[in-house]
Amino acid sequence: MEYLWQGLFQALELLVSGDGQTFSAIWVTLRVSTMSITGTLLIGIPLGFVLGYQSFPGKKGLRLIVDTLLSFPTVVIGLLVYAMVSRQGPLGDFGLLFTVPGIAIGQIILGLPIIIALTASALEHIDERLRHTLLTLGADKRQVMLSTVWEARYPILAAAVTAYGRIVSEVGISMMVGGNIKWHTRTITTAIALETNKGQFGMGIALGLVLLAIAFAVNLLLHVLGQKTG
Amino acid sequence: MIPVPFLYLLQNVMVQYAGQTVLHIPSMHIPENIILGISGHNGSGKSTLLRLLAFLEHPTQGRVRFRQATENTSREFLRRRITLLAQSPYLLKRSVLGNVAYGLKIRKEKQVEEKVSEALDMVGLSPARFLRRKWHQLSGGERQRVALASRLVLRPDVLLLDEPTSNLDQESTFLTRQAVLQAHEHWGTNLIMVSHDLEWLAQVSQTTLSMHKGRIQESSYDI
Repeated sequence: MEYLWQGLFQALELLVSGDGQTFSAIWVTLRVSTMSITGTLLIGIPLGFVLGYQSFPGKKGLRLIVDTLLSFPTVVIGLLVYAMVSRQGPLGDFGLLFTVPGIAIGQIILGLPIIIALTASALEHIDERLRHTLLTLGADKRQVMLSTVWEARYPILAAAVTAYGRIVSEVGISMMVGGNIKWHTRTITTAIALETNKGQFGMGIALGLVLLAIAFAVNLLLHVLGQKTG
Repeated sequence: MIPVPFLYLLQNVMVQYAGQTVLHIPSMHIPENIILGISGHNGSGKSTLLRLLAFLEHPTQGRVRFRQATENTSREFLRRRITLLAQSPYLLKRSVLGNVAYGLKIRKEKQVEEKVSEALDMVGLSPARFLRRKWHQLSGGERQRVALASRLVLRPDVLLLDEPTSNLDQESTFLTRQAVLQAHEHWGTNLIMVSHDLEWLAQVSQTTLSMHKGRIQESSYDI
């Protein structure tokens, strides 16, 4: 038990002293997760709208595929993205392997099914009177789409929190596509895995605490945002 | 002979749901500058007729014409002049200001708050008390009146009202009647109302129609 307390004490020391390696991993995590969640929301919300609100042939089959992808293992995504961005892969010329944007591509693939499925679900359950209300108040097609998404903002915010939680806590993609390169692509989760293997519990615990703090801050921010837009 | 100008002209209109005919009007016109009351039992096709007149639904067969609008006139353009207040209206998940201002904002109109306050006054809701209230902080009658204000603020050419007083107390019913009549008098808004409340319809309407099983049964003017 004592080594855990020692680890916690060491963790606080690392955080208070502004340890370079620790803060580099935090900075990389914040950068990559911000890129990933932004990309996920920008692509996922319109696709979720189409899947949940529009009618088209093959919709049920597509919904089943999206729901299945919710349990896509991160190492498999890591493997696929690695194959795509490695030198022999179709995206090899872009030099994305072992870079932050490379990790972000994998994390967007990870977050997309969550946003698409939960946005679609939110829109499937939206009050059917809404569409006629917007139309009779004079909204055009684009305004109907934007206002409908806005009406579903609370479940979409919840979807964003869920997707962010999955993105920020994943290891497989960051490890395989990012390569866990110190000062460059080492994220909080890959650093925890590495430091624990080395027996450096202090840094592992410090980074774990920061990860929890980030998750708390994001949840708090979205909660406040939800209340302000009420 | 159809008098010109007309507000609406319906030609051979039929609406079917799952193969079942719910509305059949071979020919009908609605003249300009009208307060029309439509009565009928449940399932008589009143609400379907209102949705057609609001250009929210297409007839299965036939044509609904509004004034001199042609086949090429977009429904969006028509819906900016015609608005419908449904029997149980939906309020957007916004404040009262956000709800009433919605139609003005999408039309990019100016002096929004002033116009919203004026519309709230018309329906008997004090802007000072209600402007910042959330949609979930309103009673049933207040919700109905906010929904009416969000239509009145647009100063529509046609205001279609589906059972506007069905869930209202006496005071709210009185305020609703005053507000819609004021819109007719001040802005020339045509009023077409559907109601079970024959007494209320008689008080408000200049002309009446009654419907039965999807057809016009009686009318107080030559349709």
